[in-house]
Amino acid sequence: MHRRAIGAVALMVPAALAMSACSSGSTGGSSSSSTSSTSSASATTPAATSTTTGAPVRDTTADLVIWADNDRAAVLQKYADAFGKENSVKVVVQVSTDVRKDFSAATQTGNGPDVIVGAHDWLGEFVQNGAVEPINLGADLTAKLLPSAVAATRFNGQTYGVPYAIENIGLIRNTALAPTAPTTLDQLLAEATAAKAKSGGKVTNSLLLQVGKTGNAYFTYPWLKACGGGIFGQKANGDYDPKQVLINSAGSIKGATILQQLGQSKVLSTNVDGTNADSLFAAGKAPFYISGPWSIDAAKKAGIKYAISPLPSLPGCGKMQPFLGIQMFYVSAKAKNKALAEEFVTNYMTRDDVQTAFFTALNRPPALKTAYDKVAATNPDVKAWYEAGVGALPMPNIPAMNSVWGPLGQAGADVISGKSTPKAAFDAAQKDIVAAIAKG
Amino acid sequence: MVWGRKGDAMSDAVKDRSRAQEVISLKGTVTTPWWAVTAKWLLLLLALLVGLFAVQRLIEKGSWLGVVIVGAILMAILAVYSTRRAIPLKYLLPGLLLLLGLQIWPVVYTVSTAFTNYGFGHVLTKQQAIDAIVANSVQEVPGTPRYAMSVAVKKGTPPSTGDIHLLLTDPQNGTFFDGSKEGMKKLSPTGVQKTDSGKITTAPGFTLLTPREVNQRKDFGDFAVPTGKGTGIKPVGLSQAFEGRATVSYDAKTDTLTDGNGKQYVPKDAMFVPKNGHGDGFSQGWTENVGFRNFTTILSDPTIRKGFLSIFIWNVAFAAVSVLSTFFLGMLLALLLNDPRLRGKGLYRSLLILPYAIPGFVTALVWASMFNQDYGLINNLTHLNIDWLGNAWAARAAVLITNLWLGFPYMFIVCTGALQAIPSDVKEAALIDGANAFRTLRSITMPLLLVAVGPLLIASFAFNFNNFSLIFLLTSGGPFTAANTQIGGTDLLITYAYRLAISGVNPNYGLAAAVSIIIFFIVAVMSWSGFRRSKALEDIN
Repeated sequence: MHRRAIGAVALMVPAALAMSACSSGSTGGSSSSSTSSTSSASATTPAATSTTTGAPVRDTTADLVIWADNDRAAVLQKYADAFGKENSVKVVVQVSTDVRKDFSAATQTGNGPDVIVGAHDWLGEFVQNGAVEPINLGADLTAKLLPSAVAATRFNGQTYGVPYAIENIGLIRNTALAPTAPTTLDQLLAEATAAKAKSGGKVTNSLLLQVGKTGNAYFTYPWLKACGGGIFGQKANGDYDPKQVLINSAGSIKGATILQQLGQSKVLSTNVDGTNADSLFAAGKAPFYISGPWSIDAAKKAGIKYAISPLPSLPGCGKMQPFLGIQMFYVSAKAKNKALAEEFVTNYMTRDDVQTAFFTALNRPPALKTAYDKVAATNPDVKAWYEAGVGALPMPNIPAMNSVWGPLGQAGADVISGKSTPKAAFDAAQKDIVAAIAKG
Repeated sequence: MVWGRKGDAMSDAVKDRSRAQEVISLKGTVTTPWWAVTAKWLLLLLALLVGLFAVQRLIEKGSWLGVVIVGAILMAILAVYSTRRAIPLKYLLPGLLLLLGLQIWPVVYTVSTAFTNYGFGHVLTKQQAIDAIVANSVQEVPGTPRYAMSVAVKKGTPPSTGDIHLLLTDPQNGTFFDGSKEGMKKLSPTGVQKTDSGKITTAPGFTLLTPREVNQRKDFGDFAVPTGKGTGIKPVGLSQAFEGRATVSYDAKTDTLTDGNGKQYVPKDAMFVPKNGHGDGFSQGWTENVGFRNFTTILSDPTIRKGFLSIFIWNVAFAAVSVLSTFFLGMLLALLLNDPRLRGKGLYRSLLILPYAIPGFVTALVWASMFNQDYGLINNLTHLNIDWLGNAWAARAAVLITNLWLGFPYMFIVCTGALQAIPSDVKEAALIDGANAFRTLRSITMPLLLVAVGPLLIASFAFNFNNFSLIFLLTSGGPFTAANTQIGGTDLLITYAYRLAISGVNPNYGLAAAVSIIIFFIVAVMSWSGFRRSKALEDIN
């Protein structure tokens, strides 16, 4: 009797887990930027809920310790081994499930790694905590890297790391449903309507955009920027200025009005979020999907034929501009092996083959020009992702960005759901953000 | 009873220790087997070694308070276990140490943090902040070459301690230099060999260091070859160097920083800000004591005052409804499955415990997707069109439903255990006295059950009062309105405090600690009154 009961439980548990994996698996992909508001937050949930995760413990016998997330650690391992062999040192790559948080915590207690792999928008926080070391790239190396990538590694006029990949969102379309790439929103909607009519009910959504009940500022920004709005103004040297908040500027409100109209016509919905957008697109329910390289895998697996193009222009406004996210190597300010760490990131991680390997594994255009040219020649995706990001600005790396995610996301969600008007919602968000920044 | 878990941990520890304890024979004379004595002294020796190792590490770090504490613990262990006296303490000490480490220390730490400005942007000491600002201001001197570099020591000096020399090659004209702490000297090219990139591989009179040897030199990280006033050649990795200049300098006498344009910065609120009040300061701040400022912030902040009452009411309702709903469902199922006539009880019980066996955060995420208005299972099955996570009342219902699913198995287990402990003779007595099943339940079973589970209900209340992970994963405290993105419809005090303190511009741990102290007092007062009431139940026994 008891054994049979246990058997039944044993059968049920994997089924339940598989169910949950299906519904939540798609959120993991966007490693850096789009989730930065929530990723830092969810990491702080009580330890009891995350028994399998936890920060790595620094390997004390190693000459160089690198922390990276699971995907990146897998790519790095091979090159770390080769670097170790070349220099007869022991290099260890350790997997951290939340590099940003683990690095901050471990560095404060002096047990952190020498090198981490992460996103550029963590920089402001690392600098104010004295956690990362400036790195002088030199003119030669700087010239070999994409200028936008180098720009993103700078904070207050100092360079703090070595970029290896760029990522941004673009317009993904299901080529079976939408054969031509639209350049304007009106074309997009017309094509979507045609696809819907032709499919006989199978296509339910015109355009997928991850909004959710609390909104998503990362995906709201391009609509604001298209109409001349945005989040922060820039100083003369190109740095973002936390004192110039553009959330309720005329341009931002204009962009928000377009979001409101799309919400009213049921094109956008707060019921589409990070947990279901990938699977809806992979199921062929929508001809268009605004997202990044991390969202491609599900469609690929489902055998959907897709193409990537730049985001369309909005009626009465310009082209939608995404945020650029830069993936980079940081050297810890408390690195016990600073010399090796700097050597590794400046001379080894900037090699052609290394950056190509990162592309092969992660689908992001490399930051090294020669590597980019090589992969762009053979891979139409990478070229398309890159072109979707041309002219885009890096996501702000100033700490003030932390206080933008919540209010701006909510303002976008409320405008789309019709709970609020653009003017009221974005005025309120502006007020919240300015107050939060003033509080420090 | 309610502290069963803690008691178990304690008694386990006591059991472990007691293996090395004297065995007291029934006759009253004390005989100790030789192996027990040996084991005892070995364990003591081990504890001593671990302690001494810890002390050594603490001395390296300069933490004298730590040394004192570890020393005191070691002496206590020795005093208690090496003699035959203090028998009660032999049993109590492990528990006391655990209490100290797991309960007292976090409390002390939280309270002490509440009086500081500790948080992102204020994690360094003042000296570290100044060092970081100066180090981060190093810029390449314009027009200087980027040298190819090898690291060497003078022949005859040991690689681990000899003076560092940077052997540099100017890439433009191929000139060799020898840079040391004395400065730059030209290096005669005779006998020097280099690679294509200009990196010197042999130089007469020098021993080149291997990458590992360079790496092991702790003085290499801060090494620079002085080349003039405020400038120096700094290595980048192992094979390149550049000439840099720190553009910011610190004057300890006046406690001011001066940048390249001569602008002065003075400390204010644990940060360096421009002396003239215009422009930006440096973002690297330091930790300092702020007294009661965090507490006054909580009391005076308009958003906090505005939201506190509504959140508090919902928080109490959430905890109370969660406990009652899970308890009644769990008890009902336990009563049903406690019937001796029911077959296949093991199977049913296993299935009912299932929600408990799946990690709570997985369940919460699954439920979140099931509550989706357009694509979720619940609306699809029931053909409703409820905006579960977008409407405040629907979201509250969603949270309570999910928590019922998550929580009833626990109550089911507890009630099953308690029911089986109720002797059947009292029920039989009731039956003989002519009580029907309902009357037996109400007058016999329930009171006896409540004696056992009453304290657990209070503990469960306290747990749900601070049920951060459920709210956070299901609704993130939302739904919010654009007019108020700080206070959500399902926010508990703890999620609200989290948003307030952690997810602002900079996570402010000092403020978070202060908020958690206040929440502690609220929960403590409510639990205390709860326990007072549950004492009344015990009179039944």
